[in-house]
Amino acid sequence: MSTGDTGSTGSPASPVPRRSPRIRAFGLRTRLLLAFLLVAAVSAGTTAALTYREARTAVLQTAQDTAVSSFREQVQQRGFGLPVREDGGGLEEVLRDIARKGKPHPWVVFAEYGSVRASSGENPVSTVITPELRRAARADPHGSFERVVKDGVPYLTIAMPTVFKTGPDNLLPSGLVLYAVMPMTDEQVNVDALLMAARDGALPGLAVALIPGLIAARSVLRPVRELRQAAGSMGSGRLDTRIPVRGSDELADLAHTFNESAAQLERSVRELREAEARARRFASDVSHELRTPLAGMLAVTEVLDEDADGLDADTARAVRLVSAETGKLAVLVEDLMEISRFDAGAAELNTDEVDVGEAIRKSLDNRHWTDDRVRTDLPTGIRARLDPRRFDLVIANLVGNALRHGSAPVAICLRTETRSADTDVLITEVTDSGPGIRPDSLPHIFDRFYKADAARTRSAGSGLGLAITLENVKLHGGTIHAGNLPEGGAVFTVEIPLRVEGAGG
Amino acid sequence: MRRARRLRSTALALVVPVAAMLPLLGGCGIPETDVIEAGGPASVQAFFNRDSDMLLFFRAPDGGMSPVIRTPDRDPGATAGPIPTEKIIQALLDGPRDEDRAAGLTTALPAPGTGPTIEVDPSPGRVTTRLPLSVKNLNAAALRQLTCTIAYSEDPDGQAVVQLTGHDGASRSGTCGLAL
Amino acid sequence: MSRVLLIEDDPSVREGVELGLRRRGHEVRAAATGEAGLAAMPEFRPDLLLLDLMLPGMNGVQVCRQVRERSQLPIIMLTARGDDFDVVIGLEAGADDYIVKPARTEVIEARIRAVLRRLDDGGSGRPAIEVYGELTIDRVGLTVTKAGRPLALAPSELKLLLHLSAAPEQVFSRQQLLEHVWEHSYHADARLVDACVARLRGKIEDEVGRPRYVQTLRGFGYRFGPL
Repeated sequence: MSTGDTGSTGSPASPVPRRSPRIRAFGLRTRLLLAFLLVAAVSAGTTAALTYREARTAVLQTAQDTAVSSFREQVQQRGFGLPVREDGGGLEEVLRDIARKGKPHPWVVFAEYGSVRASSGENPVSTVITPELRRAARADPHGSFERVVKDGVPYLTIAMPTVFKTGPDNLLPSGLVLYAVMPMTDEQVNVDALLMAARDGALPGLAVALIPGLIAARSVLRPVRELRQAAGSMGSGRLDTRIPVRGSDELADLAHTFNESAAQLERSVRELREAEARARRFASDVSHELRTPLAGMLAVTEVLDEDADGLDADTARAVRLVSAETGKLAVLVEDLMEISRFDAGAAELNTDEVDVGEAIRKSLDNRHWTDDRVRTDLPTGIRARLDPRRFDLVIANLVGNALRHGSAPVAICLRTETRSADTDVLITEVTDSGPGIRPDSLPHIFDRFYKADAARTRSAGSGLGLAITLENVKLHGGTIHAGNLPEGGAVFTVEIPLRVEGAGG
Repeated sequence: MRRARRLRSTALALVVPVAAMLPLLGGCGIPETDVIEAGGPASVQAFFNRDSDMLLFFRAPDGGMSPVIRTPDRDPGATAGPIPTEKIIQALLDGPRDEDRAAGLTTALPAPGTGPTIEVDPSPGRVTTRLPLSVKNLNAAALRQLTCTIAYSEDPDGQAVVQLTGHDGASRSGTCGLAL
Repeated sequence: MSRVLLIEDDPSVREGVELGLRRRGHEVRAAATGEAGLAAMPEFRPDLLLLDLMLPGMNGVQVCRQVRERSQLPIIMLTARGDDFDVVIGLEAGADDYIVKPARTEVIEARIRAVLRRLDDGGSGRPAIEVYGELTIDRVGLTVTKAGRPLALAPSELKLLLHLSAAPEQVFSRQQLLEHVWEHSYHADARLVDACVARLRGKIEDEVGRPRYVQTLRGFGYRFGPL
């Protein structure tokens, strides 16, 4: 039960906007899945790419090595006269013979010697062989090869300079360089197949990774969801909420910690509540104990008042003081007991259907507030189910408060308002013509024993009037709000939901 | 601020592995290569016989030396054994024949004038020759033609140092350096 | 003035109330227990019983029941607010009114006067005896008979019946009844009315569940008839 309340009470705190638990663009589930997929994609992709490269290298290496060594072997079996003759020397025949025996697939063989150009094919000069390969072959008598892509077709070009023996151990470059050009279409097909295989392996891998990803996300998210529900449950006051602890992972630790915290919180709250209950019981007990002697004293105050006139001045003053303070004490004790009943939840609402305007008028009549000090705007015919006694207290407290702390005239205005589809609200406004309530006092105006004016040590009332008013309004399911008018003057607004239909007797 | 940093780190976590994969993914199919050396040259049969053939060096169109094997008609009464170097030098000075020219071979040597005869004075590792031409005016290709022809004539491995002296008295020396 | 029997266990309250009432001219006999109070009754012959509900030994409600068995003596309960349950039981047991302690003597006396006051609005031009169905109401002799059999009605019950029957078929709100019959304020405890109506119905109606004479009008109050 909130006691140190702000001006406005009873209205529930505006609920924290809840995000939809399911569809969240970058929720934990999405992020987990994405991370999982990313890892899977990177590893599958890397593996596939590396495998592909290795396999491709192996395929090409094999083809190249085979080609180069068989080309050298083929060439070494030949003999050439020097100078090499372009015509009639059977050069092209030799080249065609070499080309036919090409491995792994047939080559086109070119020969270059001086200005002699010959080939096993139709064109004596290759368009595929690069100047770099020629330069390398000329500069350095070593076999060499180069992969060339021309018009999208990969070629292996091999340059094979020839040497001949000038002595048993002496070799001399002959000036004749043979070139073999081999289209690598088969290798291309193989490599492409490899690529397909890598891709076809990686993509299903990714798809398969989605399943453990979903399972992992679920297993991570379920405890998180439980935590959220538990936290929400705690927040709504069910302090005995606990989470089942499964396994021994970090989430289990978290659940464990949550449970411990919840237990601690529950214990603290229970202790706090017990302490509060003790304090309230104490206040209640004290009031009860005070009431009996007060009952005796109050019964005889009249005797004191009447006989005071016959006493000497000092005694008379003392007697009147005792009498007056006894009355105030009685009011204070009565108010304390009323508050205690509210605190204990023992306050009962004895409702009756009444004409509200008439009820207010009777309240004012009973207290003789019938002169100019109180102005009323009370439409007739507004009926509501109220506890007449409590409503009378609310009106009397607000008007009394306005007369005491504000200044006359005090206006009471009654009206009904339709809030939503089927809730009508009874609105009672009590306005005074005083300076209004200081802004720093507004949040505490309904606190018990709150003194808006620090200079005044004891108000004329018990100091519980507005607190009891608040409780009475809340008991009716209504709200009370304190504020200031723009032109000055405090205004108290009581809103009570109307329930016209109901039991009459 | 924090949020920006977090976003950046998230982006980084995404970009880094993708960037790391790019070079792997790149280069599908068969890529080109540079020129790659693969083993030695091919040793072919050139039918060279030191006892009957002479080895002449002419200039190839690309500027390199191109050896030519020539089998001269033997004088019926000539002694067996290698052809004398003087004869070989004379053959070189006579220039490429038709079949050599057909292969694009040329000579850098001037046409031989009449004059002192060719003298060859071999000693171990060194050959001294006197030539009936002006050595001073010879260019590098011509000197090389002479040097290699003489060196291989004297020695199967062509390693000998060759000294050329012309009728103009100029003298050059060098080695062939074509052998492997 | 009137003779008041006060049964109250707490000495200070007993003495204070006794003192205050005596000052106002009432003759007061005070008793500390229910048993002592009941014992004093035949001899003291009070006009009114002022009865504390919380008593040691025999409690106020029991005292109330015992008194009602014998007489229709006006009974006012002394109670502390909050002992709501006791109030209801006390009213059901036949108490006519109640006072919340602590109370000033003037309040106590006002209640005493109200309970003892005779209804005076019956008068002008009405026949002294009215018959409604089986009920015969004698406004002068203040007796009520049903089918010729006299009914023992407590003062508050009698007053309520007289008030309602004075204007048959007119609806009275409970607040109006509190003001006119009990001379309470408009905002007083409407359970007084409800408890009294229940007791009255128990005595005059044939079927308490389907009252003919004192009818309820939901949301508005009570009326007498129509038969």
